[in-house]
Formats: sequence, structure tokens, C-alpha cells
Amino acid sequence: MYKYIIRRILVFIPMLFALTVIVFGLAMAAPGDAISGNELADPNVDPEVYEQQREALGLNDPVPVQYWDWISSAAQGDFGNSLVYNGRSVAELIEERFANTLYLGLFSLGITILVGIPIGIYSARHPYSLFDYGATGFGFLGLAIPNFFFGLIAIYLLSIHLGWFPAQGTLSGPGQSGFNELSDRIHHMILPGITLGLAGTATYMRYMRSEVLDVLGSDYIRTARAKGMSDTNVLYKHTLRNALIPIITLMGFEIGVLLSGAVITEQVFQYPGIGTLFLNSVTNRDFPVVMAIALILGTLILIGNLIADILYSIIDPRIRYD
Amino acid sequence: MQSNPEEQLSSQPENTPGSEQQESKSPFQLAMRRFMKNKMAVISVFVIFFIIIICVMAPVFTDQDPEATNVLLIEQGPSDEHILGTNGQGQDNFSRLLYGGRISLIVGFSAMFFTLVIGVFLGSLAGYYGGKVDGIIMRAADIMLMLPFLVLALTIIAIIEEITIPIFVMIIALTSWPNLTRIIRGTYLSLREQEFVHGARAIGASDIRIIIKHFIPNAIGPIIVNATLMMATYIIIESGLSFIGFGIPQPTPTWGNMISEAMNVRILREHPEAWIPPGLAIFVTVLAINFIGDGMRDAFDPKSKQR
Amino acid sequence: MRLKNKWFIFLIFVLAFGLFLAACSGDSASEGDAEEPEEGSDTEEEEPASDEPQMGGTLTGAMDTAPAGVFNPIFYEEAYEANILDFTHESLLSQNDSLEFEPHLANDWEINDDQTEITLTLEEGVTWHDGESFTADDVVYTYKAMSSPGYVEAGGIRTEYVVRLLGYEEFNNGETDEFEGVVAEDDHTVTFKFAEPNVTILKDVNFPIIPEHIFGDVPIDEMTEHPATLNAGEVIGTGPFKFTEMLEREQYILEKNADYWKSEPYLDQIVWQVVDQSVMLGLLENGEIDFIGDPSGVPAPDFETVDALDHVEIIEQTDFGYQLMGFIMNHRPDSQVESGELNPDEWIPNEDMSNQQVRQAMAYAIDRQAIVDNLLHGHGSMINAPIAQQFWAYDEDAATQYEYDPEQAEALLDEAGYEDTNDDGYRETPDGEEWVVNLNYPTGNQLREDSAPIIADFLEQVGIQIDLRQPTEMTAFQENLTDNNEDWDLYLLGWSLGSGDPDPSALWGTEAAYNFSRWNNDDSEQLMAEAMQPPEAFEQEYRSEKYSEWQAEFSEDLPALLLYAQNKIYAFNERVNGVEPMPYSFNNDPELWWVSESEE
Repeated sequence: MYKYIIRRILVFIPMLFALTVIVFGLAMAAPGDAISGNELADPNVDPEVYEQQREALGLNDPVPVQYWDWISSAAQGDFGNSLVYNGRSVAELIEERFANTLYLGLFSLGITILVGIPIGIYSARHPYSLFDYGATGFGFLGLAIPNFFFGLIAIYLLSIHLGWFPAQGTLSGPGQSGFNELSDRIHHMILPGITLGLAGTATYMRYMRSEVLDVLGSDYIRTARAKGMSDTNVLYKHTLRNALIPIITLMGFEIGVLLSGAVITEQVFQYPGIGTLFLNSVTNRDFPVVMAIALILGTLILIGNLIADILYSIIDPRIRYD
Repeated sequence: MQSNPEEQLSSQPENTPGSEQQESKSPFQLAMRRFMKNKMAVISVFVIFFIIIICVMAPVFTDQDPEATNVLLIEQGPSDEHILGTNGQGQDNFSRLLYGGRISLIVGFSAMFFTLVIGVFLGSLAGYYGGKVDGIIMRAADIMLMLPFLVLALTIIAIIEEITIPIFVMIIALTSWPNLTRIIRGTYLSLREQEFVHGARAIGASDIRIIIKHFIPNAIGPIIVNATLMMATYIIIESGLSFIGFGIPQPTPTWGNMISEAMNVRILREHPEAWIPPGLAIFVTVLAINFIGDGMRDAFDPKSKQR
Repeated sequence: MRLKNKWFIFLIFVLAFGLFLAACSGDSASEGDAEEPEEGSDTEEEEPASDEPQMGGTLTGAMDTAPAGVFNPIFYEEAYEANILDFTHESLLSQNDSLEFEPHLANDWEINDDQTEITLTLEEGVTWHDGESFTADDVVYTYKAMSSPGYVEAGGIRTEYVVRLLGYEEFNNGETDEFEGVVAEDDHTVTFKFAEPNVTILKDVNFPIIPEHIFGDVPIDEMTEHPATLNAGEVIGTGPFKFTEMLEREQYILEKNADYWKSEPYLDQIVWQVVDQSVMLGLLENGEIDFIGDPSGVPAPDFETVDALDHVEIIEQTDFGYQLMGFIMNHRPDSQVESGELNPDEWIPNEDMSNQQVRQAMAYAIDRQAIVDNLLHGHGSMINAPIAQQFWAYDEDAATQYEYDPEQAEALLDEAGYEDTNDDGYRETPDGEEWVVNLNYPTGNQLREDSAPIIADFLEQVGIQIDLRQPTEMTAFQENLTDNNEDWDLYLLGWSLGSGDPDPSALWGTEAAYNFSRWNNDDSEQLMAEAMQPPEAFEQEYRSEKYSEWQAEFSEDLPALLLYAQNKIYAFNERVNGVEPMPYSFNNDPELWWVSESEE
């Protein structure tokens, strides 16, 4: 097991390196640069000024030189300064937003698991009931609505019209602390969390339902039942463990899916997270930020998959890693 | 962003190599038979056909040019000439809905098709030959999987100056093959050591023949199921990319850019005719494709008979 | 098979959708009807707001993008940061609504005869937010910092305010430590010295001042990372509000500066909330935000909806800037693109676009009034010369008015030899070759994007075949535009202008980098030079005359067709009083803003 983890990590390092080369190449291939910016230059500013800044930032150096500059400082944990948010260090920019995305991601994963799995199990235990139909209907709904569309309609109805939830942001104001801050934060996360978790919830629910149905119908469960075990017992002793295995693999994947979803969801809710930062940085050619985010997300996804693998082996001891 | 292809696949197909020769019915035919018994799936097939036909026959239903702008008719409400009104550039919403359907379906379908081609090809190579080939392909897949799909897609789209439909489709296909490749490889690995494969090798069948004759038919279940679901996902993805300004640009109509154009409070409220039809179109289409995918899964996965 | 009743569920969803639809259209219907009391619309609202300004209260403003976060006037770059700095920092002068310079931190000034020196007397008793007093040394320091070596490399771009100062060159390239440009005579008197007679002398001294006691010892290249540049609560200015707190990217809180030297601000707080454009209108409607100011304002299509809100008032004024369709008249040769130089002698004329008649024909072919009336919903104006209408230098009558006249356009094209010789509906070049004109445009401005296909339509109607290129992001667009040695003909672009001085040479001078048309016209060059030529140019009337002539020249030769100048639409809740935007900014005299009911 440990060997396996170590091997995975060792394989991971060259992959990470390859990833940086790819992303850097892509970033450099893009026309325009961060100095010209996404807005048109201020006509009162002498273009010579911008040229001097390019020179100072090394944007006129050959690409391999730039890559070397970047990778050598990145290796020392210095991701440099953002080209757009002038003077601000990339690490600081990312740190600020990373926590926000993490909260949102965990919150929405929480919703997904706490809502998706129980409903799925319940549906499977009462197949073809009204509840089951309702849940299945919801499942399809969740998969068939683009999430920005769902999010905006939720804002329109629940925030603007009914005033139940805040429409934008992570908090209603700075300077809060303790429980107040927590509850305010959660209040702000409900709509984006649901929006982000919608598709996931639907997937989990449908998945759990079919897994549990499968297991309930299998021979060994029938045997257990025949031996006189109660349904509930059968369900929890045998079914769930089996049904959870694929769910865990799913969760490993879910990290990537959530981060992708975050790009759009955060945009709708003006939620300052990694997703909006990435979108901004890509459009503004702020490549130090783009690179750093790519590295961090890559690492995260790897860790997610690794954790999934470990959980996997805990839940199902038959699975072995050589 | 939305559902992930791999997660849709509930289990490996059962290998039924024997039945191929014994009975007149191939597993494929058996599956089709099961599929036909799933009412929702069959109805969905009709719904999709219906939508396709309407979109294909767009010129019959409207004589408006979906790309023509008219500065005198900006954001007009519904009228006899413009059944669903016009958008912010004075383009006719109804014709954009029909022609946009063509584009959305074509994008969804061809992105799925190319993902399939790449995925099956690489998956076959990796799964059949194993060893070094497998190693290289799988490492490449791992690198691609290290970035969330959207992050990679956005970076590539940002570079390309002129996004046309084929380019857009290729970007999607190139960034989403790894999942499918993994699934197919997994299926193949379990087949490799089967007797009938050894048998085929023994009688000197070529690799390509073995892959086409024995491997692909056995993997057809997961391939088809994933393909359907991918198509649904891609239609949703196109709309999401449109929303953040990375989709297929104007003047080409798509359902995705139609609803993303309408995404502000004023239009939501004052011009429901501008966004409800494309929204509903995406919804119904994706729903129907999902039903079909479900039906396919049940049909190809014999376990589902028990339900 | 698994679910027999899936259809049933599906129907329910369709129904739910339908209901939602009904709910929505119901809304809009009821809006037009009698104003039903929505929750929150109180009864006292009807009584006339008292005219007496009240102390206290908080206002919430909306901006659609968060400031980048550099809250230092000498390093800020964008309008979102300006939304904070406008409240916290002040300049020596200010501009009134006819753009004349008025006393601000300096209450009086004297300019010598050849306009090489200006001596300003500073207001006494002004203190920084931290209690230190504001003196002439702060002024000297600010200009010195902007002149110092490494300022540009550190990210500063405001060199236009210092380049004309005496001894700038020597100081900037490190030859001397002596900064002669700005001198403190005593604590409250400061003299600016310029190397040459300066026509725009008042504009040059009008820059926000930063505190020496904070930044004095900070090396210039560390200034952007200094806490007093980045952190709320540590940014120090002299303005009526202090920037005290922020929730980065979401909320920026300005607290009143009770010791403000002019008068104590009425408001306790101004909160900037970052809100997505798509929901801004809804939040203005339900009272969560009180005003929408710069830089976005209310989008023109939303005007009527906002106007229909009983509790919201609107101020509309012309924006400082314009949108244009430029003609690429010349291309730079590859060698110049590579070296980045601009040498008009080697420019290669762009066939067809270098023909004045063709350009004029295109101007007649486009119904700009229709664009203003419909695309901008009437919230804009048509202009014919590239000088902001608010300036004294703008002369509507001097410029050729290109009224929409497709026949005139066709006649001009015929005359120039562009005729449809093969009856394909499109004109061919005089040589009888196929004639396709490319139109490129950037993303980032919805109205401009919407206008591109409409413009293409108008041009096609007079028989010009247009290849409407796909829009590209501004970063990429600007690079291609700068290096346009390829096949570009037409481009769409917008400029926001400064309010300091109308001199158009930075955009239209032959060797100006922003002269993307690569317009090379000797008369224009001469007129622009004369308008800036001391000592005649010390007289505004003289300059005004020259600019009139220049506008006539520009509009006749037409390196670019000016499409429209958009209006800025500011909206605010009726409880907000005392708001009087300047032509160039919404954020004017915020110490005089007040709210009528303070129960909120």
C-alpha cells in the first residue's frame, strides 16, 4: 500500500513537469500579452511605457528563457507576481481565493453526498413509488439544465424576488467573526452550492439507486434474507459497503468536475474563487497565475484520486495494490 | 462540468463469445430487443427524431435568415413575422432556434463521434497491445486528466483566434478522450486472456481483425452507452462555454448562445420568448438522450433484466 | 421499462416550466399596471423628501468587476480602482462641469508669462487620514516618485504628467539625484518648472497627491507591494472618505473622514459591492444597491426598465469617448513591425482603403442615426470628429456631416471606379477584380459586438462585399491591430478620453502608436502641431480655431468613421441626494451626498 502511494507520487512528478510544459506552451502561443491587457490601453499613456514594462518583466525574452525563469523560481515555491494585478504575488492571489473555492466545493460535495446518497437508497428500497418517480425526475432535471441557467434563475426567483438568499459574493460584509461569519458564509453558499452540486447530486442519486437495486437483487442478499436477516440489516451490512465502492471512485473524479463547474458557477454568483480567477487570467494572458492554478489543480486532482484509492482499499479489503 | 462519462458505466459487459456462433441472434440484436421494450427510451428516440427533423427542415418552417441582423428590429416582442421576436442584433429568434438546433446537435454529435474515434483507437491500442504502448497512452491520458476539462479547454480556446465549428468540436474531442480510452482499455484487458482470443490468434487472425471481430463487439455496450451520454453532456458544455464567452461565436446560432445572450434580469423577465424555447429545447433534447442512454445501458447490461 | 411513468414526470417538469413562464410574464404585466405595493415599498415614501441634508446613513454602490487592488494613485490603472481612489485622494486642482480647472487642494496659482512655471498656494489645515498635515513636500514627493528611475518598471504608467518637467530626463535616467521639476517654496507653496513652455500646464499639475510621510522611505519598486498601497485601513489620502475595510473582490468600504477639510461628509459610509452585470438591475430594484455609477452605468437596453422604477432616478450624460470604424489606410512593412518603429515613409498604402472616396462612400452608407436610435435605444449621439463633445474644442459644424445617404455612397463608389461589372451583386475593384473588404472587431463591449454585423449589412447594401471576421479578445485584437501588416481593412474600436485636454495627437498623429489607421496627413499634422505651439496656444481661442480646422480636415479625409458616442446612464435610489456627476465622473463631491431616510 505505502509502496503503491509512493510510486504514484513518483510517477506524478514528471507528469506535473509535462503539464507545466504544456500549459506554458499554450500560454505563450496565445496572441497578445498581459501588458496590453483585456481593456484597450489608456490613450493618455505613452505606448513606450508599456514597451518598457514588457522589457522589465522579461516578456520579450525567448520562450525557453521565460520558461526556465518560471520553473526555476516555481521549484523554490515562488510563483512570481501577477502581470495584471500589478505587484501582487501569485501565491497571495491564489491563497485568497482558494479557500473560497474549497469551502464552496466541500459544501456542494456535502450536499451531493447528504442528499444524493440517502435519496438514492430510499428510492431503491421503494422502487416505483411516487417518491422514486419524483427523485428520478429530479435526477434527470439536474442533468439536463445548464448550471449557469439554473443559477441565474435561482438568483432571480430566490434572491431578487423573495429575498431569501443573498445573490452574490461570500459574505455580507467584512469584519464578522465566529458563528456569525460561519452562518453568513453558509447562507451565501447555499445557492451557488446547490447550483454547483446539482449535476453531481443527480448522478449520485441515480447511481446509488441502481447499485442498491443491483445488490438487493443479487444472490447472496437473497441468501442472507432467507437466513432471516431483516431488510434493514441486510441493507446496511452488505449492500452499502458494496454500493459505496463505485461511489468513491466517483468522488475522486468529482474534484475535477467540481473545479470545472466552479468556473461557471462562480461567474454567475460573482463568487471570488479559483474559477473566476482562472477565467480572468486566461482572458488577460496573466500566465504566471494560469500556470500556478494549473499546477495546483493538477496536484489536487491527483490527491483526490489517491485518497479515493486508499478509501477503496479500506472499504473493500479484497482490492490490493502491488 | 456535468456528468462524467465514466461514471455512467455501471459495469463491464458480460462476455458472451459463445452465443455469437450458437444462435442467430447476436448480443447486439438481443440488446436491441431489450431496448425496444423500454418505452421511455423508445419514445425518446422518437422525440430526438422529431427534433432532428424539425431542425433539418428549418427552411420549411421559417423563411427568415438566422444570421441576418436588422437594426430597426432590436429586441422586438413576438409578431407575425417574428414568432419569437428578435434578439439584441435584430436577428429572428425563431429561425435561430431551428438553425441553432442544427448546430447544437451537430456539435454534440460530432464531438461525441470524434471523442469516440480517438478514444476507441487509443483505447484499443493500449488495451490490445499493452506494454509500452499502453504505458505511453495511459501516461498521456493521466496528464490530460490532471486538469479539469474546462481549464484545459478554456486555455486552448483562448489561444485560437478563429473558433469555427470543426475547431470547437476538435477541442472538445481532444480534451475529453482519456475517460473513454480508460474504459475501453479496461474492457480489453479483461478480454485479452480469454480463450477465444487465444484461439483466434492461434489460427493466425491479424490484430486488426481480432480487434474488430472480437474486441469491439464485446466493448460495444459501454461504447454506445458512453457515446449517448457524452452527446448530452457536450450540448450542455457548449451552452456553458457560450455563457462565459468561449462558445461558438455570433452570428452562428446555437441553443447555448441563445440562452446565454438572454442571461440578465431584464430579458429574463421581459422577453421570456427569447430564452424559454432554447432552454426547453436543450432540456428536452438532453433529457431524451439521457433516457436513450439509460435504455441502452439496461439493454446491454444483462443484469438489468432482473429489475 | 424501469419506470413506466417517466412520461408523467416529464410532463410535470414541462408544466413547471410553463408555470414559471407564466409567473414571469405575469410579473412584467403587473409592473405596467397600477403600482401594487411590493413588500418594502413603504408608505412614508410619498411625502416629499426633506430638503435639509441629514447626517448619517450608508450608501451601497455597484460595480460589475472588482478593482485589481492597487490603491495608490501613481500606480493604479483602471476605472474600478478609481472608484475607490476618487473618494480617498485629491489633486491640487479639480475640473468643473465645463472642464475648467478650479482650485482644490491648491486655492490659488500663478503662471509665468512663457508658461514654464506655475506656483500654487496650497490650502492650509488639510490633514491626511492619519492626522499628519498635508504640505508642499507631499506634492514634491508625488511628482518625484513618478519621475524616479524604475517607476515604469515597477508598473507605473502615468509618466505623461512628469515628462515635461524641468530636468526629468536627467533625473529619470539616474544622471542626477537632483529633482528640479517641482520645488517646495515653503510649507504651502509649490512651484512646478517645465523644460519648455507648457500649453497644458494646468492639466499637468492636476494629479492626486500621495503622502510623503508614508512612502518617503519606500523604494519605488517596492511601492506596489507596500501595505499602504494594498490594504484597506492603511491607504492614506486627504479625501472626504477613508478606505477602511474590504472583503477582497466583493466589498470595499469607505468610511467618512470626519475631519475633511472642506466640510464633514454627511454620509457615514459608502459601500462598493461587486455585482454581476446580469443581476445589477434586480438588486437596484429591490433596494439592495443604491446607485450604479462608473464605469459601467446602466446598459442602454435596460434604460426603460430602470426608468419605470418609481424609486429610482436617472442621470444621463454623454460619455467621454467614442466608438469608431477605422480604415487601415497604410500597412507597416514587416521590418517596422519587428522593430516596433513607426516610420511613415516606408508605409505601404492599403489598396482601396487608401482611397478617400471609398472611405467617404462607406460613411454615407452607414445609417449611424439608426444605430444610435435602435442599438443604443437613443442613448447616445452621433459625432463626426474625434474630440469629446464636452470640450471647448469640439466643433460640430466644422466637420462634414455624413448623413445616411446610400445613393450618395453608390455615386461615390461609381465615381471611384468600383462598379459591379459581373452582376454578382457586389462591386469589383477598378481593375475588375473581386473586391472583399475585411471587418475586424474585438469582444468586450456588447454594443460594439452587436453593431458589427449591422454595419456589415449596411455596407453590403451598397454593394460592398464584407468579410465579417470573427471577433477576438482585446488582447489579441490589439496586437494584430498594432502589427497590421496583414490583410486588415476595417476595424471597430472605442476610445475613452481623458478630460484634461482635447489634444488628439496621441491618437491621430502620424507617428502615434495608437493611430491604428496609419493615417498620414500633413495638413492634420501641421494643425495639431500649431494648436500646441506656444505662445499662440496659450490662448484657448486660438487653439479652438486650429482644432476646428483640424476636425474639418479629419472628417473630410476620414481615417475613421466615428460611429457614436454612448451616453453614461447613472441610476440611483431616490433616497440618495446631492449627487451631481461631473462630465467625466460620477464620483463628484461625495461629502455632499446624503440619504433622506436614515432608518435603513
